[in-house]
Amino acid sequence: MDELDLRIRNHVYASFVRDGVAPTPEVAAAALGSDAKWVEDAYRRLHDAHALVLQPDGTEIRMLNPFSAVETSYHVEAGGRSWFANCAWDALGIPAALHADGRIDSACPDCGEQLELEVQDGELVRGHGLLVHFVVPAHRWWEDIAFT
Amino acid sequence: MVFLRSEEHLERWLAANGWEPGSSMSATKLNALARAWWWSRLDPDWRPRPPAESQTILDGLGLTGAFWQLA
Repeated sequence: MDELDLRIRNHVYASFVRDGVAPTPEVAAAALGSDAKWVEDAYRRLHDAHALVLQPDGTEIRMLNPFSAVETSYHVEAGGRSWFANCAWDALGIPAALHADGRIDSACPDCGEQLELEVQDGELVRGHGLLVHFVVPAHRWWEDIAFT
Repeated sequence: MVFLRSEEHLERWLAANGWEPGSSMSATKLNALARAWWWSRLDPDWRPRPPAESQTILDGLGLTGAFWQLA
């Protein structure tokens, strides 16, 4: 990953955390004083490098792990804002990335019952009894990151 | 990765989807993993973490064995 792609990646993350919206290549290009087509190509390179995740066959951002740019069943309150996460791991990752307390609302995929977790000062203070399951082994996580 | 209420719910969920069991941990352990994994994600000078460092995070939490090998 070269320095310019890294600059774009860091700009995209900062914009998302500030605005709650993943910038399109056009918006990012305008902010960076760059060319939209060049930024679009950079988005694809960052996707290939697993630095962000694009929607299939497009340049719209789907994931800025641990954040999700689209609505999911993992709702997180942290840092005075609401977010969506991509999975259980990312849901706990949002308070970690923001260095903030957080509250997570999700649902058991078996029975649909609402599940609540809470992190305070880095410790899980609610939801200790819950179980987490990884179906996909680590070496295959990026084969289909949306499923993982 | 999903949160489930208990082992019983996990077994039913896996069976309903026809999936083989993978690996389970407590939510408390996942929180420790999340903190180690994502803590620096928003650093202004963030750079990609070398895979060996990611593997060290997993190893440090006892997530070892073939299932937890990144490559």
